[in-house]
Amino acid sequence: MAVAQDNAIPEGRSSSPFWTVARRDSLGGFLFIAPQLIGITIFVLIPLGLVFWYSLHEWNVLANTFTYTGTQNYQMLIEDPNLPQVLGSTAIFSAGLVVLNLSLALLLAVLLNQRLAGITVFRTLFFSPVVVSLVAWTIVWGFLLQKNGGINGMLQLFGIEGPNWLRGETTAMISVIVVQVFKNVGLNMILFLAALQGVPNELYEAARIDGAPRFKQFRRITLPLISPTILLTSIITIAGSLQVFAQIAVLTQGGPGLSTTVLVYYLYQQAFQFHFFGYGSTLSILLFLIVAVLTFAQWQLRKRIVFYES
Amino acid sequence: MNKNKTLKSVLAALALTVPLACSGIAKAEDAINLRMTIWSAAEAHLKLFNEIAADFKKDHPNVTVTFESLPFDTYTTALTTQIAGGNAPDMAWVFETAAYDFVNSGALYPLTDTLKAAPGYNLDEVSATATERWQKDGTLYAYPFSTSPFAVFVNNDVIKAAGAKTPAELIAAGEWTWDNAIATASAVGQGGKVPGKGGLIVRDFNYQSWQNLASIWNGFGAAPWSADGKTCMMTEKPMVDALTFIHDAIFNKKAIPGPGENVDFFAGNAAMTITQISRASLLPKDKPFSWDLVPLPKGPAGDYALIGQAGIGVMQSGKNAKTAAEFVAYMTNPENSAKLSRFFPSARKSLLNAEVLKKTNPLLSQEQIDKVVIAGIATGKVIPGHTGFAQIQQTVRSGLDAIWRPDADVAGTLQTICGQIGPLLKR
Amino acid sequence: MKAEISPRMKVILYGLMCVLLIPFVFPTWWMVTSSVKPISDIFAFPPQLLPQSYDWTTYSKVFELQPFVKQYWNSAYIAAIVTIGTMIVSSMAGYAFARIKFPFANTIFMIVLLGLLIPSEVTIVPLFQMFLKAGMVNTHWPLVLVPIFGAPSVFATFVMRQFFVTLPVELEEAARVDGLGRFKIFRKIALPLARPALASVAIFTFLHSWNLYLEPIVFLSSADKFTLPQALTQYTDAYGGPMWNIQLAAATLTALPVLIVFIIAQKQFVEGLAHTGLKG
Repeated sequence: MAVAQDNAIPEGRSSSPFWTVARRDSLGGFLFIAPQLIGITIFVLIPLGLVFWYSLHEWNVLANTFTYTGTQNYQMLIEDPNLPQVLGSTAIFSAGLVVLNLSLALLLAVLLNQRLAGITVFRTLFFSPVVVSLVAWTIVWGFLLQKNGGINGMLQLFGIEGPNWLRGETTAMISVIVVQVFKNVGLNMILFLAALQGVPNELYEAARIDGAPRFKQFRRITLPLISPTILLTSIITIAGSLQVFAQIAVLTQGGPGLSTTVLVYYLYQQAFQFHFFGYGSTLSILLFLIVAVLTFAQWQLRKRIVFYES
Repeated sequence: MNKNKTLKSVLAALALTVPLACSGIAKAEDAINLRMTIWSAAEAHLKLFNEIAADFKKDHPNVTVTFESLPFDTYTTALTTQIAGGNAPDMAWVFETAAYDFVNSGALYPLTDTLKAAPGYNLDEVSATATERWQKDGTLYAYPFSTSPFAVFVNNDVIKAAGAKTPAELIAAGEWTWDNAIATASAVGQGGKVPGKGGLIVRDFNYQSWQNLASIWNGFGAAPWSADGKTCMMTEKPMVDALTFIHDAIFNKKAIPGPGENVDFFAGNAAMTITQISRASLLPKDKPFSWDLVPLPKGPAGDYALIGQAGIGVMQSGKNAKTAAEFVAYMTNPENSAKLSRFFPSARKSLLNAEVLKKTNPLLSQEQIDKVVIAGIATGKVIPGHTGFAQIQQTVRSGLDAIWRPDADVAGTLQTICGQIGPLLKR
Repeated sequence: MKAEISPRMKVILYGLMCVLLIPFVFPTWWMVTSSVKPISDIFAFPPQLLPQSYDWTTYSKVFELQPFVKQYWNSAYIAAIVTIGTMIVSSMAGYAFARIKFPFANTIFMIVLLGLLIPSEVTIVPLFQMFLKAGMVNTHWPLVLVPIFGAPSVFATFVMRQFFVTLPVELEEAARVDGLGRFKIFRKIALPLARPALASVAIFTFLHSWNLYLEPIVFLSSADKFTLPQALTQYTDAYGGPMWNIQLAAATLTALPVLIVFIIAQKQFVEGLAHTGLKG
């Protein structure tokens, strides 16, 4: 077909090669992400689809019946008298956890960002709960929070009579939040520490020369420059807070009453304890939607909150 | 090329013959592996079960039985999760509280025919009251292999040190009532003379498993729901009285340790504990204390007894349900029941006599066996159960949390609870 | 913030840090000291900060009651495989999302990020059924495959992507001019520079696998296949009541080695995180 001409393309080839550099690169890209993508499809997307499928059925495990009920489970969801309280507990738990965690992490990072002797020892110690096994940490705190346990014992040394931590509705919620925060704040602390160390010193020098007080320096220089890290940690911490299960299972079993029954624990009860796998699946979908919406909202807000965007 | 051809034909031949050979072997053995889930991890128990399984194998060489221990406090959940995931065991222990769920669901294989067909089984000597909740429409779906009465273990050292009357003294005077029991417990629990010791502990209750409070409220003639299970009876006077009594014992008299207070009777730290007699093995061998075992005290409604049960069921969904049923029949025949009764009191009439029980409860005296064990099994009511128990249990538990505080409105809370479980009971 | 600190300020800072340290350190201290107390002393009132009597048998009982050594090995080798596997998968995926232009890259990244949002309780039942059909229940396969390819590795991919985004493009362009293909660029240039990020991914992943609790409970049923967090809850007496002192001894054995490794490697870890270049 091709007529031999001066700069004619050799016979048999199309006018331009299919595998351009760009295309080859794209293929490379797909190959690079293939393991992750295939993995996510098999282990995340398909199960999620199956969960949605279950939510459309009533699944009686013992009787081995799996009947299609359409939106009946979702109807039950709307009419569930416990759900408002569960959602309320979840909101309080997450909000309390995120606020306490982020502010404590920032405080610790600022404190530990000093050039003091032995500061690395302190950093290690504050980080240590992160590496202790979750089950062990929760069991130990379970002890300490007993009415005649370690914490009340310490308080007694100061003449204070401690409450029955895990048996009062408010104190139980505070306990669960605090236990979770102390376990993981070390991680956020290190992230903030790293971010703080990335703020150029000259900015502080200049501000001090201008006579700006410490607090103003913090507000005008530090916070904006570490805002990307704040956003990242808040996304991770919020998403993580909605998935906290083990502490509640070990410490309060959702009690007293329903006060510490957060959504993921309620889901576990419905699906695994009461064997309502259909309804449990419906709750799973709800949980997933809440987390997705919150994360998406934060990601969109990043343009407003984050100072620098690469 | 020739080599290839030869290779191909060899492979083809292998492909044909190997399955044949395997099926040949398979036909000869047809190995059956049965799995039973249990909630005990005690070495002594497992040893006994494995012995029974080995004996069964002598007559059934192709059958191997393994026992899988699941943790006690999440046993039913773990079992149902296995079933949900398609990994149901062949046989499973079932709690008396979950019995109605399992029996009524159709998940269990009917056992009556297999049990009756087993040589020398003598199903009739198992009383109707013992099998009541394990059967439906006259067919037995799970065999109650353990019928264990609740009793009061007593630590006489602690009681005497507090200057209170021991249960033995009260019984001798014919005054072993709940009021007196609490008075003794209170003397210890107040901590005046013997600091740091608890009064009376309803073991296994722990402000979670409220069904074990039946060991107290049965004495008041109370019940959480009607006999047919359809109506909530928690607002009735007996239950209100019983729970008010218990609340008073906890918060005013300090006779029962409060929520979040961990006291262990078997470590010598309490006056009395209500639990099943099998716990006698927990009595300490080093640093022993002077102990006693007495029946439950008399309540306003009179004398009473409470028993816990455990049943073995065969899963319908198992591939080898029939063989599994045969194993259950073997494991619970009179001969093996006698062996099992070392740890798990049997409901068989022939085994409810002093000599058998003495052999299997060496720590107990003759009198204790008569008064506590035999009387208990003969007259005891089983712990309350219901279909959909898991959800009812949880609902009542979280409702009762409002009672376990110093100032509590018992009657009002019970009203709320009945309102919540009413619809659940009717299901 | 980096100005000279007066001695008075130093005292205040040290004091404040010590006070704040208490809830972080006290539970670990309690765990270790209680592991050698006789069981009745653990709940003694007032609580004993230092054991008054010692029961050294708890540690040997830890090994007697369960195949603890095997369980330790299980946790360790699973965590090791998962860490290496995740490092490979996430560095490749992270690099691609950061550097390579291919169609739908952003959309796919969003989909992958979904993995961060899904609690394992949500997907555990379908996953269990999948593995049951594949005959992999009561093996370690689910504990290895799911973390490497599924939701837990997504965080690692995210971290790697953030890091690769901050790498100067010039280095790669220079290599391109030299005629290196994409994979070679990745292997010879990007990856070696990513050591700090890889280090922090390794540590996160190792810890996550080490502490996995729900998955082993669902997938494993024989004691000799258990992992450590699961084993911890198995130290119960015949009636299901936990044997506290033995459990705490096992918990100490679980926590201490990791803690020691962390103390030694602390510097690398903090620096590794600092260099993930978390800017947007």
